[in-house]
Amino acid sequence: MSASNLFHGHHLPVAGSDKKPLQAIGARFDTPDALLDAVRLLREGGFTRYECYTPYPVHGLDRAMRLPKSVLSLLVLGGGVSAVLIALSMELIPSCLIYPLVVDGKPVDLNALPMFVPIVVALTLMIAAVTAVIGMIVLGGMPRWNHPMFAWDLFAKDASRGFFVSVESTDRNFSVRGVTELLHAAGAGDVTAIHLEEN
Amino acid sequence: MSATLPTEPDLQGSASLRPPQVLNGRGPLWVTDAVCSIVEGKTPLWWYAAIALSGSLAAAGGACILYMICTGVGVWGSNSPAFWAWDITNFIFWVSMAHAGSFISAVLFLTRQKWSLSVSRAAEAMTVFAIVCAGVYPAIHIGRVWYVWFLAPIPNNFGMWPNFSSPLLWDVFAVTSYLTVSSLFWFAGMVPDLAVLRDRATTRVRKFCYGIASLGWLGTARQWRHYEMMYVVLAGLTSVLVVTVTTIVASDCATSVIPGWHATIFPFYFMVGAVYSGSATVLTLLIPLRALYPQLKDLITPAQLEKVGMLLLMMGSCVGYVYVIELFNAWYSSNVFERGAFWERFTGTASWYAITCLSINLTIPQLFWFKRVRTCLPLVFVLAILCNVGMWFERFMIVTTSLLHDFLPSAWGNFHPSIVDIVTAVGTVGIFFTLFLLFIRFVPIMSMNELKASLPGTQPHHSGGKH
Repeated sequence: MSASNLFHGHHLPVAGSDKKPLQAIGARFDTPDALLDAVRLLREGGFTRYECYTPYPVHGLDRAMRLPKSVLSLLVLGGGVSAVLIALSMELIPSCLIYPLVVDGKPVDLNALPMFVPIVVALTLMIAAVTAVIGMIVLGGMPRWNHPMFAWDLFAKDASRGFFVSVESTDRNFSVRGVTELLHAAGAGDVTAIHLEEN
Repeated sequence: MSATLPTEPDLQGSASLRPPQVLNGRGPLWVTDAVCSIVEGKTPLWWYAAIALSGSLAAAGGACILYMICTGVGVWGSNSPAFWAWDITNFIFWVSMAHAGSFISAVLFLTRQKWSLSVSRAAEAMTVFAIVCAGVYPAIHIGRVWYVWFLAPIPNNFGMWPNFSSPLLWDVFAVTSYLTVSSLFWFAGMVPDLAVLRDRATTRVRKFCYGIASLGWLGTARQWRHYEMMYVVLAGLTSVLVVTVTTIVASDCATSVIPGWHATIFPFYFMVGAVYSGSATVLTLLIPLRALYPQLKDLITPAQLEKVGMLLLMMGSCVGYVYVIELFNAWYSSNVFERGAFWERFTGTASWYAITCLSINLTIPQLFWFKRVRTCLPLVFVLAILCNVGMWFERFMIVTTSLLHDFLPSAWGNFHPSIVDIVTAVGTVGIFFTLFLLFIRFVPIMSMNELKASLPGTQPHHSGGKH
């Protein structure tokens, strides 16, 4: 689909370069309610490849998009449990096997387990926290240098001024007319065809 | 573009049971502009003056540290029997102060105390910077800094291994863990707000720097989902740290046999003192900040500062209780050494430390019972500084005066700080304020996304309903 057709046929403003392939159709909504309505229409229309961009977490949006619960907590549990094992082996192997330390005739062994606890706690908290942050970054698709949405000035200049939706052109139900009409029906403003930028 | 977010105060009437989060019915766009304007606006003159002063203090402190490293710990006043003096006093003072930041941002977040939202970012920053100041001391107080790697469990061909039963080693792990977790909590919470600054940046340098710092955040529903989960998890982990770090630091003293140190109440003692002095620091930082940036007056409200004052009152009263119970225990134990140590603490050569500490910490927090005191911000500012002075004397009283008077009269002694001690301590204050000034100038000092999400009318009216 050529970009000029897009513009003349459907009166869509174009973001990015119309010589580049169409990436998505974006729309901006004024209120979180309108955004949720749009999501409902998209879901009912059988769309799967769409994304919402909000300036703050909107309650109920993940449910509306049918997103499953984040797996992050599971990852953190894994990180924490491995941290316990790492910390225990780091302490016990040297203290009891490799380099047993006897102070005042009191050997360090498994009977003295409580004294190993503070370091286990400290390391567990640290590794669990690192897992949580790395998990958030990786699961959120970060870090990344750029994104097609940034070709759209309205979004790139100040995404905090609205609630945005983009429907990707790779969605099997995608058609410029259909998506545009659906977004307009949901009360969208500034419906825009988003292309990649010229280098 | 005339795009607007909902600014209608339609729900404010119904939410009147709690004082409003943001005064004057300000909307989300106003919040964004107000917080970003601090970073985006022209650097005020006072900022240059302040950072010149704090930077000079930090540089002087750094010079003293360098001198100490080149010469040896003999340049400090520490000597037998006061092997631990200003170094460990300052370490405990700073690391404890950090705890109020974690308490406000994590514990109050988990208990859904929404009033803490606008102060939590600054409180977290205070936490991170206070731990940095604390971290200066443990490394250098060992004397030969180049041997600091002995503390890490690294296999080596000397066949040496750290002693895991030593509370001093627990300290290393506790403080490293605390610094890591609180820095991550602080930074990760800031990512969406850094992205706002990136989007609004007008110069290429700013766009690049904030672009890197915000990791390419877009604010997609998927990102928010993981982000919110991470935030809850980190708040949970940080809440545990509020208790464990002071407990471990308290073990440095409590696991020894020195009278005045050897007490089971120490972990609690250190923790309440920690949150008490940290609340005082939060007040010391936020009251001038609010005065210097008038746009923050609707965000940092007197009602919120009053609540920090109440936290100070509660923790300060706990501290007072511990002082009394400690004295009672010394008497009730009938232990001659315990009794002697405490008698010496208030009558001996270093008694003015203990007397200053008690006269401040037993009285100043009690003034916060009065609403007129809590709401008079200039007075609160002065009292908060006094509280921290009192807490510094408390840390010195615990750490050093206990050492001065142990079991053997022949080992009793006194302590006098050297000029290097004093300049290094003042230098850490300089480091703290330099970092805080940089924080004010370059990153969003409030969690814009959390604030906006909690404003009336910014959430869908029927969330959880038909969806």
